[in-house]
Amino acid sequence: MIPADGFIVWSVLAPALTLLGFAGITLLLAVFQSDRGFIATVALTGVVSAGVFALNLLMQAQGGLAEAGFGLRYLADVPATAFTLVVLLGTALAILVAQGTLGRMGLDHPEYYPLVLLSATGAIVMVSAGDLITLLLGLEIMSLAVYALAAWRTEARQSQEAGLKYFLLGAFASALFIYGIALTYGAGGHFDYAMLMAAFTQPGFEAHVTALLGAVLIIAGLGFKAALVPFHQWAPDVYTGAPTPVTAFMAVVVKAAAFGALLRIASTVFASLEVGALGALLPGVLSVLIGATLIVGNFGALLQTGVKRMLAYSAVAHAGYLGLAVLAADQAGMAAAAFYVAAYTLMSIGAFAVLSALMDDDDGGDGIERFAGLARTRPWLAAGMAVSLLSLAGIPPLAGFVGKVLVIQAAIATGHAALAVLAIVTSVVAVVYYARVVVAMYVRDPSGAARTPERRTARPLGIALGIAVVGTIVLGLVPGLWYGLVDHGQNLLVFVSLR
Amino acid sequence: MVGTEAYVALSAVLFTIGAVGVLTRRSAIMIFLCVELMLNAANLAIVAYAYQWAGTGLLTGISGQTAVFIILAVAAAEVAIGLGILVAIFRNRASTDVDALSEVRL
Repeated sequence: MIPADGFIVWSVLAPALTLLGFAGITLLLAVFQSDRGFIATVALTGVVSAGVFALNLLMQAQGGLAEAGFGLRYLADVPATAFTLVVLLGTALAILVAQGTLGRMGLDHPEYYPLVLLSATGAIVMVSAGDLITLLLGLEIMSLAVYALAAWRTEARQSQEAGLKYFLLGAFASALFIYGIALTYGAGGHFDYAMLMAAFTQPGFEAHVTALLGAVLIIAGLGFKAALVPFHQWAPDVYTGAPTPVTAFMAVVVKAAAFGALLRIASTVFASLEVGALGALLPGVLSVLIGATLIVGNFGALLQTGVKRMLAYSAVAHAGYLGLAVLAADQAGMAAAAFYVAAYTLMSIGAFAVLSALMDDDDGGDGIERFAGLARTRPWLAAGMAVSLLSLAGIPPLAGFVGKVLVIQAAIATGHAALAVLAIVTSVVAVVYYARVVVAMYVRDPSGAARTPERRTARPLGIALGIAVVGTIVLGLVPGLWYGLVDHGQNLLVFVSLR
Repeated sequence: MVGTEAYVALSAVLFTIGAVGVLTRRSAIMIFLCVELMLNAANLAIVAYAYQWAGTGLLTGISGQTAVFIILAVAAAEVAIGLGILVAIFRNRASTDVDALSEVRL
């Protein structure tokens, strides 16, 4: 159980350090290299090499040789490396989308790619953290870069507003999170999950109220990043206001990181609090948040006319489905979440890639009429969008369907049948708003004024869409390809109830 | 000798003042200052708890004090990004009133 000795274990840090190094390299390159495509390629190289390290660590964890550094404060076991790989996949695809869109939008400033890599570094630290302070550092490294990216279109008020709103609410959420850490430390005397679990289940432990208050504040802080209702209000505005390639990055990477961290903390610290006094409080709070997220996300999306804003609400709704796995917080829940988040990354990027190809250079024109008759004018884009949206809706045999089945199974297995029923009912609602776009593309005629601009889809954008669509279909037909990697193997830090 | 509870109570008061300020203030700068107040409230609580844990002979008193420095650094980094965004906005519209930010509909 106890992993390799030594305090500083460089190999567990390899994925994060690689990304950090490449962030530095791309930043230096940006100074004297005017070819943005080259910088993007270097950034992609960094992501892929980090991915090789992460895959290697995942394989080690599969074989029972998972490593951890800093005394279980930084982990490289199956959940951590699986989420790391998903973060890297999302980052790579988001870089491709950006490479294919930023130039045309006039947003191709050289600092873009270093910021994306830094943000991904923070996301990896978050999902690998086994300690509240490590988690905080990852959260801030990720968020600070994304705040800047959200305000990327500095001359447009919409983008500035997105940046400022995200920043102010994000800083507020961080403050809640940090106070949560303070209270947890006050109750348990430690910051690392392993020692906190031990402290919270000690026979003489009495500070349940402080610990639970801390846990609720931590849920609020992470729930903000994950866009759980009622901490979701920023999401539609920021997703709409930020440039579309940035929105794609935020929607997949930030969400994956927040859920990776939330799952880890729910399966350790929160689980150890559940056996004590007032133990039903945390699952109760989470259930309410998740139920509200499912309802608000899906019905909110139903009311939207713009496709970008619809996707923003759909991102909120998907936070609800992922929340079911957090509630389960066992081996099956972890694996279900790791699968769901991978599927969500692929299908979301697919939808955002098509959206970036169609929207105007100033980020306008995301109305549904833009999609009317797309199947006739741009058949490939329409097909890619249709696969992504149907997968988001959970239509078999696509990846989104398998993901939904897995999280709902995990929720039922741990006795959350009511929420599982709610998830199924709301996913029927979801079909309506996704199908609306598909119908527009395949049934309606292209109307004169709202015609899509005649332009070639940039090659990187096409590659991103291709990977996303093929991935969505393959993961739907052969889920074991990814699920088989994450549903077993070593989890170094998990609460084992003595009941 | 002032007990840990007193410090934590003070920090809770500061935290609440900050939170109320964030929810009621209209100027982005004031909101941001209120967030800083909340962060410092958390730091005060951590220092108080660290003192308490050190008193019980636990070595983790040190880790609490270290955590405070990390949080201070995080807060400083947040300031840098936040002021950057604020300056960019102020250049365009010469106001930091968040109510004027309504380009994005709710």
